[in-house]
Amino acid sequence: MSQRPEDTDQELLARLRNGDEQAFVALYRRRQGAIYRFALHMSGSASLAEDIAQEVFLTLLRNEWGFDPERGTLSGYLFGIARKLVLRHLERSRPDVALETESDEGGMPELAVNQDPLAEITQRETLDALRRAVVTLPRRYREVVLLCDLEEVDYADAAVALGCPIGTVRSRLHRARALLLDKLNQERHPRHGVQRLKPVRCEL
Amino acid sequence: MNCQEFWDSMPEPGAGSGLEHLQQCAECAHRMSGRRRLLAELATLREEWRRVEAPERVEESVVAAFRSQAAFGRVRALRHSWMPLFAWASAAAFLVALALMLVKPHQPPAANHATRPGGVELAAIQPANSALDTGAEEDDASADGFIPLPNAQRIEPSESVNVVRVEVPRSAMLAVGLPVSADRVSELVEADVMLGSDGLARAVRFVE
Repeated sequence: MSQRPEDTDQELLARLRNGDEQAFVALYRRRQGAIYRFALHMSGSASLAEDIAQEVFLTLLRNEWGFDPERGTLSGYLFGIARKLVLRHLERSRPDVALETESDEGGMPELAVNQDPLAEITQRETLDALRRAVVTLPRRYREVVLLCDLEEVDYADAAVALGCPIGTVRSRLHRARALLLDKLNQERHPRHGVQRLKPVRCEL
Repeated sequence: MNCQEFWDSMPEPGAGSGLEHLQQCAECAHRMSGRRRLLAELATLREEWRRVEAPERVEESVVAAFRSQAAFGRVRALRHSWMPLFAWASAAAFLVALALMLVKPHQPPAANHATRPGGVELAAIQPANSALDTGAEEDDASADGFIPLPNAQRIEPSESVNVVRVEVPRSAMLAVGLPVSADRVSELVEADVMLGSDGLARAVRFVE
């Protein structure tokens, strides 16, 4: 059976439940990138992100966690599985800390190449700084920025994936953007950060 | 609306909410422009990150898992699709055999003995309630070969009946008094069972 462009996730899911391999491949190709990137930027490890992307779709095949279309979209469901797997790994390996550096396995993306070298350098520096700021956010803020700002997941799906109310998603995102701006400002204007520090009394 | 109330409302940088306050407050307008710039940079980063995808081997792995599961599912589905049919056929055969064993056997006609002089024939089972065997029932072995089951209701002339063909062990013929060769007792033989309008067996006819 040929893959029609208008097939929704739900239609593909129904077909794959009936053993349609093309539907499964179509669904995988539609969703794997976002799931892999989310796992990559949450964990900082390309190999772990690979394992998690694989496990997410195997879980979908086994229907272990029971996707319920009444509770949200398939996209939110898949992100939710990926998030649980990432957290499980992080809890086993180390406490919740922000990522300081990316993996040395080449998992992070290359930045754009422009025709204008100066603009290219400026943009590279800007995006490098932003990328560092994102991956060093605390986990609860990093995941909401990854979902809503970088994968364009709507608030309802993000709420399903994160297992929290929509209002919490909005407030975390609001706070996360403020943190990002602070980080970027400190990096671009390091002295401003020092000047903004308030003197405290030393009690020795 | 003061500055605190404005930021507590968590305004979306791309939305038009709180414009009045932004027009009146230069500091908040500056902060909001910084947020808009941040969103623009995030959009650029988003376009860059979208080039990152899972390696090909992940797809190969999950597709292999899908094929394995699909193959197992087909075997399971095939098994499940045949099981009810097999169960119903077994149950039907068992019920027919049981019915045949319960009926009062008839004495084998002398003509049958004459047609099989060389075979060793088993004696027909004589049930304890042989007193029920009457000459009228012998007469009921109608011209179409159906032998009425003595414990069943008689078929009314206006009653609609169904005839189903089943396979039963040849030994079941003994129950109705028909001779069976000892060396063929385990063979299967076809029989027509006449069912009344209530679905209960009323008569039987062996095809041979």
